Amino acid sequence: MSGFKEIALRESCFRPGSTLCPGCMESIALQNVGRVSDNGMKTVFTLGTSCAEVSSLAFPNVVAWGRGDTPPDDFHKSFGIIHNVFESAPTLAEAARDVADLLADHGAFAHPVQVIAASGDGGAFAIGLRSFLHTIYRRSRVTLMVLVNEIFANTGFQYSPATTPFAETSTTPVGEASLGNPRPPLDYIHLAIAAGAGLVAQVSPAHPKLFVKTMEKALACKETAVIFVPAPCISGWKFEDGETVRLATLGAQCGVFPVFVWERGDGGSVKDCPQEVAERPAIEEFLGAQRRFHHLVQKGPDGKFVPRPGKEEAVDRLRTWTQSNVDRLYSLATLH
Amino acid sequence: MSKILEKNGKAAEKSVSKAAEKATALTHCATPSGEIYPDAIDLAKVRAAHHALYTQRETITADGNTAAAIAALQMWRCILFAGFPITPSTKWIETVAARVAADVGGKKRVKLLEAEHAVADYLVGAAAACRDLIFPTATSSVGLDHMTETTRSLGASGLGNVMLVNVYRATANFPLCIEGDPSDTLAHRDDGFIQLACRGKQQIYDTVLQAPCLGMQPDIMTPTMPGYYGIKDSHRNARLTVEPDAEIHSFQDHWIRSCPLPGLLNGDSAFGNCVTSRHFQGFKVAQRRRMDRVIDILPIIGADFERKFGRPGLAYYDAVGFQNGTPPDIAVVSMGPDFGTFEAIREEYQRLAWTRVAGIAMRLLTPFPREAVRARLAGAKVVLVVNQAHHHGRGHLTLDVADALSNIENPPRIVSVFTGLGGADVSESTWERILDHARSALDGKALPPVAFFHEGTQL
Repeated sequence: MSGFKEIALRESCFRPGSTLCPGCMESIALQNVGRVSDNGMKTVFTLGTSCAEVSSLAFPNVVAWGRGDTPPDDFHKSFGIIHNVFESAPTLAEAARDVADLLADHGAFAHPVQVIAASGDGGAFAIGLRSFLHTIYRRSRVTLMVLVNEIFANTGFQYSPATTPFAETSTTPVGEASLGNPRPPLDYIHLAIAAGAGLVAQVSPAHPKLFVKTMEKALACKETAVIFVPAPCISGWKFEDGETVRLATLGAQCGVFPVFVWERGDGGSVKDCPQEVAERPAIEEFLGAQRRFHHLVQKGPDGKFVPRPGKEEAVDRLRTWTQSNVDRLYSLATLH
Repeated sequence: MSKILEKNGKAAEKSVSKAAEKATALTHCATPSGEIYPDAIDLAKVRAAHHALYTQRETITADGNTAAAIAALQMWRCILFAGFPITPSTKWIETVAARVAADVGGKKRVKLLEAEHAVADYLVGAAAACRDLIFPTATSSVGLDHMTETTRSLGASGLGNVMLVNVYRATANFPLCIEGDPSDTLAHRDDGFIQLACRGKQQIYDTVLQAPCLGMQPDIMTPTMPGYYGIKDSHRNARLTVEPDAEIHSFQDHWIRSCPLPGLLNGDSAFGNCVTSRHFQGFKVAQRRRMDRVIDILPIIGADFERKFGRPGLAYYDAVGFQNGTPPDIAVVSMGPDFGTFEAIREEYQRLAWTRVAGIAMRLLTPFPREAVRARLAGAKVVLVVNQAHHHGRGHLTLDVADALSNIENPPRIVSVFTGLGGADVSESTWERILDHARSALDGKALPPVAFFHEGTQL
């Protein structure tokens, strides 16, 4: 494993030029992955249609990818990236991996390659669940990174199967007859483990050292590694500039998307999120920082967020779901 | 702060020196699509690892799927075969899998995906990874429909090293019909593939061998879709002459040179960007121009194939009965194996009906060879277009033929018919009835815009 500082000084393959919202977690994650992958191996990136794609590969804008200002002399710093359709990133990655391996088997390609697929949660869990699970099931030696902002962000913040219960999205609007998203998210971490992944983690750059270390492990994994990156979305979750990392931390600590790292054969652990509810930040603090939950909470006289009158039951249900989410991850951590 | 910077500087130095130890300098050069490292992949090793299926010309008995599979297996550039089963194309991947499984020490691989859409996505990733290898698959009907989201991307991708063998079968499952009807391929005219129709096992085999030579031309770079009728051609056996692998390699190597643009593995490049409408036009015009070049290059490759192997190569169409200086009364336009029945009865029909009859079976569907079709049909009194796929207008082929004939003085009268839907056989009596129908147009009789025929009767 490399040192955190050493990695921080590497050359990222995600460069200036993207049109992602300033402070977007996806941008932070991609910059970090870009540095981790500057490790002496040729890098191939595959992208499903998502914010990360439309904001970084738009012609004739600057392509926000590649290492260095000029094409690298060192072949291992060269970089290939491809976007196809929403659901395709895992399959594209698997194909590139197979061709590289097969050429190596022929003695025709002597360079180590790492292949990383990046999808949004809409691309991975809705339209692309088939390709996501089957690439894992086939044990393809690729890293699947899913940027989980809980919505279809680039089409206008619609519900996705990762949306937190009661969140307002543009297709689960809040009204007299609706309190927002009515259903809990898909258990995607369990699905990835069950499908056969070698490494499954849920971690964002809000936990920077762990994020980098986990990504290094993922790139070295001999089977499919899956990294779910909780990605607070400024525009979709409707929060103030500069709050991205705080929200990612708070969401992890209060149990909405706890940090989780699991390796086949070794089991896993939940980090920075105690199982006891009393030891975690109140869920209302997480909800209050985002306008997608403002139909549920408001500021109390002491400045802390409390349930709105009449919404206590909904907040309780959300609290119950959060506890079940934490319990579930603690339980998954015991799998080997 | 200065201490931190100093420490960071040392870490950076260490990082750079580590990277320098691992650095691999390769020659590289700029292309319009990014940097290419031409020496990164040693294709000679791939070529050398190929195990020949045939070392001399042989005549075997094979069905169409087997003929298409053998052709793909004989190419040294085909080392990875992606597939998903669907009737009637399944035997293609089964045949490939059986041969790969039997090849002791062979390095070719079969990749089974979970759906046709996944196959198409996989082809994108594989063909982009290495643009000098050929990545084939086969599918049919709703399988092709399931691929559509990605076939339309592929058609515009510049990845001419993808070959999708389409075994024709009716589309739509209400009612489901598994027999050969080209409604699948004709519904995908705008996907952006070069579509080549075949009839007979030999033509299937020969077409599959030539298709990548066309698609991988540097000024074409467009994926290919050779196709043939399900059941009628995919499942029925006939004699097939197979060529030695070495001769096939020699022919293909003459036509297929290293791709001038980088792939994911040998390049520093990006694929699949998005654009605004302002720039979209330019991409589509370029795609169209690449497709248009097919019209120029296809006959040259076909002629070279014929010189080398002694059989007709790629062509716009197969023609029968045209005589220089004497245009036919009725010129038939059709496609597929049922055209053979027309060929069989044509002379007898001419004699008995006192009518000169000729015909063409289309080989190149997309791009449609308008000029060549116009030149061939000009002078005919009636052009009889025989469509075999459901269409809510006058027929897919009819629209193209009408377009081809639209700019000439005194254009022939076009008679449009449908027959053989769902892969039904077009019998001799059906052909005779259809020709009688067209003959009534010679007499000036008013005819409906379309007419349906089956088993010798008009429906």
